[in-house]
Amino acid sequence: MNISIIGAHTTKFGEQWGVSPRTLAGEAFTGAVSDAGIQKNRIEALFVGNMLSGILGRQEHLGAFFSEELSLTGKAACKIEGACASGSLAVHAAVNALLSGEYSTVAVLGIEKMTDYKPEEVAAALMGAGNDEERMAGMTFPGLYAALAHVHMKEYGTTQEQMAAVAVKNHFHASLNPNAQFHSKITVEQVMKSTCIADPLKLLDCSPISDGAAVLILSTNHAMPAGRQESRTTNVSIVASQVATDSLGLSGRKSLTELAATKKAAEKAYRQAGVGPADIDVAEVHDCFTIAEIMATEDLGFFDKGKAASAIVQGHTTLGTAKKLVVNPSGGLKGAGHPVGATGVKQIVELYEQLRGTAGKRQVEKARVALAHNVGGSGATAVVHILRGS
Amino acid sequence: MNSPVKHWRNQKKITELVGKTGKIVTFTIIRVPPAGYSDQAPYAVAVIDFGATDRVSCQIVDCELTDISIGMTVRLTVRRVKTPGIDDVIPYGIKARPIHSL
Repeated sequence: MNISIIGAHTTKFGEQWGVSPRTLAGEAFTGAVSDAGIQKNRIEALFVGNMLSGILGRQEHLGAFFSEELSLTGKAACKIEGACASGSLAVHAAVNALLSGEYSTVAVLGIEKMTDYKPEEVAAALMGAGNDEERMAGMTFPGLYAALAHVHMKEYGTTQEQMAAVAVKNHFHASLNPNAQFHSKITVEQVMKSTCIADPLKLLDCSPISDGAAVLILSTNHAMPAGRQESRTTNVSIVASQVATDSLGLSGRKSLTELAATKKAAEKAYRQAGVGPADIDVAEVHDCFTIAEIMATEDLGFFDKGKAASAIVQGHTTLGTAKKLVVNPSGGLKGAGHPVGATGVKQIVELYEQLRGTAGKRQVEKARVALAHNVGGSGATAVVHILRGS
Repeated sequence: MNSPVKHWRNQKKITELVGKTGKIVTFTIIRVPPAGYSDQAPYAVAVIDFGATDRVSCQIVDCELTDISIGMTVRLTVRRVKTPGIDDVIPYGIKARPIHSL
């Protein structure tokens, strides 16, 4: 693939009651255009990743909504929805639009505004990603992943303390990320003592409800835009973009110890990029709950099944002590926040910074190949992107 | 599920499921419920396997939450599923009872 990320920017994630979605989108877009050093009229199409604007905010038609807001009126624009994978699905659509030859420069906006609404309203809205049967049962998202955790614990002896170690690591990484929702380090004891949400998952096993936006500018043109301020030494390319799906609900799955969609998307992405799990230096994976990072690092092939939890506890994926690769240097969904439509785009913004060597205190040394993994629902959609810096 | 026509369509599915016996594959206890379920919390939700047919996700009722375990045998029954709005049809659906409590 001949596709480069030429600009990227993310807003701070968190409770942002003082700003509207328009302001969040404007900030992320202005930052990305400035990073790219291009005139925004060079952008031919806008892809918006969002899940909840219709059900919570009663605003649909986000393609036109944000093209007007970002002064791109007249350009092609649409919204892409795939629950918590909406952001990376929008990137996937943008990549395919570039590969088709129709456009040469496009923008992807991932955005979500969640904290304006009551938690039970948000919980009910997020269950739009599940199926009717799960909604009727009064299931919640923490509940779905708790049910997966229960099977993983029984099958592989995974413990609640091991899951807590994922939250501890990701809060540590988030403490180094100025855009993260949380900057406080936490301990395994704090996670274990936090309020139970859905057994065995506790409050600090769960990613938070967040506001945020992230923007990527993608181009088929490798030539550096003329007139940019800084000289760029590293070009970041997207070398794989793959999607796979599975049953909407847990009752349709053959196995509950893995997400089959993740395995399928990863297999296709490794083949497309011509790399394997051992080549990945840094990964942003979908840790909506601590158990999700354990399952993801196994399903992506970084660890054998049942082996990820103990490796995470030993610091094998932590900045500074990592053996093979660093997982979730941004803090992940757990520490950096999870504005659902923005997350998949933010993951790629983080990896772009890592590959360019501009990630500051959370820089992974000698990062050359990076992987982003974004999940919709309880594993019904999985999206894997692989990036290369050169 | 406020529309009567949705209730009517859903009842066909309930008829197919009620009385079936299966085993709990996994479960959780929901302590922070979504809107409409707060009067029931905490409650257990499980994935139930019927062997030959598809699995189903539903609540486990008529037992202590601490007595629920993976592998437990349960039978599907009809129950009110959530608190209806003031003018709504009462929503009925499937829940499961441990066999020993029948």
